[in-house]
Amino acid sequence: MRIRAVLGSVLGSVTVLVIGWQAGAAAAHNSAETATAGSTSTSPSPSSSSSASPSGNATGSFTGSTVETRFGPMQVEVVVSDGKITDVKTLQETDQGGRSQQISNYAVPILRKEVLAAQSAKVSSVGGATYTSDGYLSSLQSALDKAGL
Amino acid sequence: MRWYRHVFETMGTMVSIEFAVDGIPERVLDAVHTVFDHFDSTYSLYKPHSELSRIAAGTIAMVDASEEVRDTYATALAWRAATSGGFSPHRPDGVIDLSGVVKALAMQDAAEALREAGALNWCLNVGGDILVSGCDRDSEPWSIGIVDPDQRDALLCSAPLRGSRRACATSGSAERGDHIWTVGADPSSFRQATVIADDIVTADVLATAIIAGGPSALDQICATWDVDVMTVDREGDLRMTPGFTTKVQASA
Repeated sequence: MRIRAVLGSVLGSVTVLVIGWQAGAAAAHNSAETATAGSTSTSPSPSSSSSASPSGNATGSFTGSTVETRFGPMQVEVVVSDGKITDVKTLQETDQGGRSQQISNYAVPILRKEVLAAQSAKVSSVGGATYTSDGYLSSLQSALDKAGL
Repeated sequence: MRWYRHVFETMGTMVSIEFAVDGIPERVLDAVHTVFDHFDSTYSLYKPHSELSRIAAGTIAMVDASEEVRDTYATALAWRAATSGGFSPHRPDGVIDLSGVVKALAMQDAAEALREAGALNWCLNVGGDILVSGCDRDSEPWSIGIVDPDQRDALLCSAPLRGSRRACATSGSAERGDHIWTVGADPSSFRQATVIADDIVTADVLATAIIAGGPSALDQICATWDVDVMTVDREGDLRMTPGFTTKVQASA
C-alpha cells in the first residue's frame, strides 16, 4: 500500500495523517462513518526504529494506536524519511472473514514509475478495452499474433 | 510440446487463441468457432435476424424467447442487481443489449470446449479480455500485459495469471472527456478499469461497473468481491488493489 504519490508532503502532524489515512483506507468516498471511528485514535508513538520526534526532519517508522473500526481493529504505520512520508502500511489486518479482511483490498494510488519495470517482462497476451476487428490490426495483440511468439 | 496460435474474427472483434497442440484433436478449433458463431448469431444487435434483434424489434416477446436467451437475460439482471445498477442490460433507449455478458459467456463456453478436447494449456484473448488455463510454452504462468489507454502501443504493466486467478477483463470509456455514463458520473471517472478474477464473467461485468460507477463503485466492488483491480483515471494516474500490485511486482 504505497501512497507516497499523494502523501509526499512534510509531516505536520502524524496524528492527523494517521487518522486521515484510516478514514481514507476505510472508505475513501464514504467517510462519514469512518471519521467517527478515526476520532477514537490516540496520539501515535514512535516505534523503536524512529530517530526523531514527528516534527521537522523526522526519520523513522511511526505506529498509530489500534482503533476499533467498523471493519475491525486497525492500525497504521507511517515510514518517514527526512520529514517526508515514504510509505504507509496498514497493520493488524484481521483475517476473520467478512469485511474486516477486505479492508486491505481497496485500490490505492500507485506511481507509474513503480510499475514501469514490467514493460520489459515477457507477455503472452495483451489486455485492453475491447477493440473492433479494424482496431485489432494496429493493436499490440496483433503484433504478438503476427510474431507467433 | 508443440504450440499453435489461431486468430479469427467474430462478434465484431478478434479472437486469438494459443494452445499446446500435442494430443489435442484438430477439430477443437471447429468447436471453438462454433461457440462464438452461436453467440454472435443469437445475440448480435448488428444482425437483424438474431433472436435478440427480433426481441429489440418487438417481433418476439422476451417471455416467448428461447430458454437460453431468457437465462442469459436473467444472468444479466442478476449482475445488474449485484452491482447496484452499475452494470445493466438495458440501453437508455429501452433495448435489451446483452453484449455486456455475451462475450464472457462465449469465452466460458469456449473454455469448456477446450477442456472437453483435453487441452490443458491455453490462452484465449477475445478483444482484449483474457482467459487462460495451465501454463505457457516455457511452463511458466501466463503473463499478460495491460495496454495504456493514452498510448495504445505501450503497456502500463504486466502481471501473471496463476492459480485460481484465470481471467482478466478491461473496460474503457470511449474517449477522453466523454461523459456518457449514467451511474455516479463525475469528473474523476475512470478511463480504464482492469479486473483480474477467477472467472471471466465476473471480471468483465465488474470492469464495466467500475467504469460506469466511478470511484464509489470501485471502492464498493473492491470491498465486496474477491478480485484484483487496476484503474486509470482521466489524468492518467493509476490505482491498484494490493493483490494487483503484488502481481505486477512479481512480474517485474
